[in-house]
Amino acid sequence: MATLLIEIGCEELPAGACREALAQLPGVAERALGVAPSRILITPRRLAVLVDDAPAKTADHWLKGPPVNMAEKAAAGFAKRHGVAVESLQERDGFLGVEVPGKPLAEVLPEQVDALVNGLAFSKTMRWDDSGLRSPRPLRWTLAMVDAETIVGDTTFGHRFTSGPVKVPDASAYLETLRAAGVEPDQDARRAQIVQSLDELGGWGDPNGVLEEVIFLVEHPLVIDGRFDERYLQLPRRVIETTIQHHIRAFPLGENRFAFVANGGDPDTVRGGLENVVGGRLEDASFTFERDVEVGLDGLAERLGAITFFAGAGSYADKTGRLPKLVEALGGGEAALEAARLAKADQASELVREFPALEGHVGAEYARLAGYPEAVSAAIDEHYLPDAADAPLPQTEAGRVLSAADKIDTLNVSFGLGHKPTGSRDPYGLRRAAIGLCRLAAEGNLVIPREQLEPEVREFVEERFEGLVDLPVEYVRAARRSEVRDLGSVARLARALAGLPDERFAPIHTAYTRSERLAEKEEGAAAELDPALLAEPAELEVAQAMERLDPQLEGSLEAGDFDAAVESAAEIGPALDRFFEEVLVMAEDKAVRANRLRLLLNVRDTLGKLGELSQIPR
Amino acid sequence: MNFQNMIAALQRYWAERGCVIMQPYHTELGAGTSNPATFIRVLDPSLKEWRAAYVEPVIRPTDGRYGENPFRFQHYFQYQVILKPAPEDVIDQYFGSLEALGIDLRKHDLRLVEDDWEQPTLGAWGLGWEVWSDGMEITQFTYFQQLGGIDLEVIPAEMTYGLERLALFLQGKESVFDLEWAPGVTWGDVYRENERQWSRYNYEEARVDVLERRFDEHEAEAGELLDKGLPLPAYDQVLKSSHAFNLLDARGAVSVTERAAYIGRVRKLARRFAQLYVGADGDAPD
Repeated sequence: MATLLIEIGCEELPAGACREALAQLPGVAERALGVAPSRILITPRRLAVLVDDAPAKTADHWLKGPPVNMAEKAAAGFAKRHGVAVESLQERDGFLGVEVPGKPLAEVLPEQVDALVNGLAFSKTMRWDDSGLRSPRPLRWTLAMVDAETIVGDTTFGHRFTSGPVKVPDASAYLETLRAAGVEPDQDARRAQIVQSLDELGGWGDPNGVLEEVIFLVEHPLVIDGRFDERYLQLPRRVIETTIQHHIRAFPLGENRFAFVANGGDPDTVRGGLENVVGGRLEDASFTFERDVEVGLDGLAERLGAITFFAGAGSYADKTGRLPKLVEALGGGEAALEAARLAKADQASELVREFPALEGHVGAEYARLAGYPEAVSAAIDEHYLPDAADAPLPQTEAGRVLSAADKIDTLNVSFGLGHKPTGSRDPYGLRRAAIGLCRLAAEGNLVIPREQLEPEVREFVEERFEGLVDLPVEYVRAARRSEVRDLGSVARLARALAGLPDERFAPIHTAYTRSERLAEKEEGAAAELDPALLAEPAELEVAQAMERLDPQLEGSLEAGDFDAAVESAAEIGPALDRFFEEVLVMAEDKAVRANRLRLLLNVRDTLGKLGELSQIPR
Repeated sequence: MNFQNMIAALQRYWAERGCVIMQPYHTELGAGTSNPATFIRVLDPSLKEWRAAYVEPVIRPTDGRYGENPFRFQHYFQYQVILKPAPEDVIDQYFGSLEALGIDLRKHDLRLVEDDWEQPTLGAWGLGWEVWSDGMEITQFTYFQQLGGIDLEVIPAEMTYGLERLALFLQGKESVFDLEWAPGVTWGDVYRENERQWSRYNYEEARVDVLERRFDEHEAEAGELLDKGLPLPAYDQVLKSSHAFNLLDARGAVSVTERAAYIGRVRKLARRFAQLYVGADGDAPD
């Protein structure tokens, strides 16, 4: 058994490419080498694979030749093709063949290295010379070793500035050789070092999640803390965080401190430079911030007429003008209305132009500075939430109302202009808006009247429940066809329907489905139910049950008690069962038949208040 | 090291590495890449080798801040190096240039951080990095893959130094206006009034009707020159139409929908130019 090392040297790979390599290398290496790697080591400048106990040669294998009974004709040709004497052919399971001995690892390694390089697939690649190779960044060296023997290449390279070409004495000494050359090759070790240093500094945060990227930005992590001038603390907190995290991938430490992960250097020198850079960025942001504050949030709101919401949909001033009506329809109070007037004002700010991801938050900070009540500022802050599938909902009632109003407007206007998402294309984020509405309704318990959504929008939005609610989609489809008035009730009704045990659901499902089928013969049905024509006990019982059930259902649905509604419907199940057993709907007597058809139609209409029950397969 | 000495050191360093020291172009450019010494030479399939370096003043009307913001300007300087083909040791050569400026590579934190480059109006893209020096972005480094919508046969490396940023770093100053340009003369002495007046022109005074007309004229002339087989003069008209668009943008005269249309018109010209220049058949793809 031998230790095998393969190292592919690169110019600095993007963190995303490092992660792709990390995910693929175990499988790719096993396919290329025929043995599972013991370690995968990745830095921005190298992809390395170590195998602790590689077989010193590849496995022997049996090369199958012609069947024994064809030996006379074919054996000589077969032997010649494979460069062996005919006499050396052996027989196995009725076939001639030859046992080909495995090759020494050193001999096959160059091919295996090529297979490994070619086996990786990256999402974004480039060319850099005329070799025809494609990779996320140029590949610059290869080192392949079996124990102390170098098979491909010559040296590895240590840290870009503090080291240079380095001989690896033995494949098994790869890690310590690199560590001595200023490189920590193990990504997990780098992560641990960084986290430990950050913990020592204390109070670190990573709101934008840059740690996993930083691990692949350095080979020699050196955590350096720095400070910026306290006067920049006047800036909105997230502006500071974004500046620190986005521009230099550093971590806020609270107050005016931050921590940066360098790749080496003299800490005091690097700190001085970093503080200058952060100071400069924050000075730039402050300059913008102060200009905005001078104009004030109300002043910014007045400029919205000049900013296009999107082509054909007027300006942000037009959008702002549409929001109050929606806010009222959603039951919003004074705070929500005031917030609606100011929600889009930050679109006119210079700071949002610099930090587009902070829309809403910037407006909220300006509202606070202008002395608006906290409920108004908070609503502005939160009204883009939820901005991702797992993002939190707005915390405040006004925030939820404003968020829903904004999304309804965007959806209604976009669909009105024919901008519907197609396939994966959704440039206006309409799917996200629709999912946001569903979550505001179902999880946030916001009453969103379905009538506020244009018919096409309503279909699109409610379809999102099919993926959001953890039920077979048919329950959602059934509930969507009910006449419940608000969006959240669609999900709640679907849950109530799914919660009914099958034996209780069966009778009403059957009654609904059969009545619906009979409804096709509607011209035969009487216009009104005539109680005088009801003769059979079973049909009388159903008629009476329906009279009780109809107002009961209405009441429960109105009160939002869907379990009670479903429960009360289920109660008439036995009566319906009996009806179908004992009563002949298509009676000889025309009037009786018409009356019974009418009764069934009433059953369908009443049960139909729970949705299109026939959608649910049984 | 003051601004002019920094430029002189870069000129000497790259001249020693076989670069032709070129001069800035004679019309407004948004980036040194648009200078024919880069764009056209890189595109030229018959030119297998080309190394050039030059200072380029870049004009970006929407970045003006009336000389009030010490980090934003409508006119600043890039130092552009183009090496075709990209040499194998190009990164070492680049870091060598920083050493030539007196930067101790072992004392500072120097890093190549992924930053891919794309210029839709030129139908151009490449992969590369921004170079960080103690967190300061001092250079954009790009391996061009496509220009004018055409895959390049020979891949070059482009290094674009942001001279003001580099000088902030070298001089340890906190404002570009305070940078020493020459002994006793600051960057602000030379350009601050320029920023005030040009910002006013770009944002307030440039005549929208004139610019709209100019855009149309430059576009039309570029088309005619391409028809007549004169790609080089046509290229200047493309650059001028692009600048007219940038000014219209600064004047706030371009709506979101119009913006896409303007960019599309410039891109179409750039692609037609590229197709004609490399002698490719057929119409430029969109």
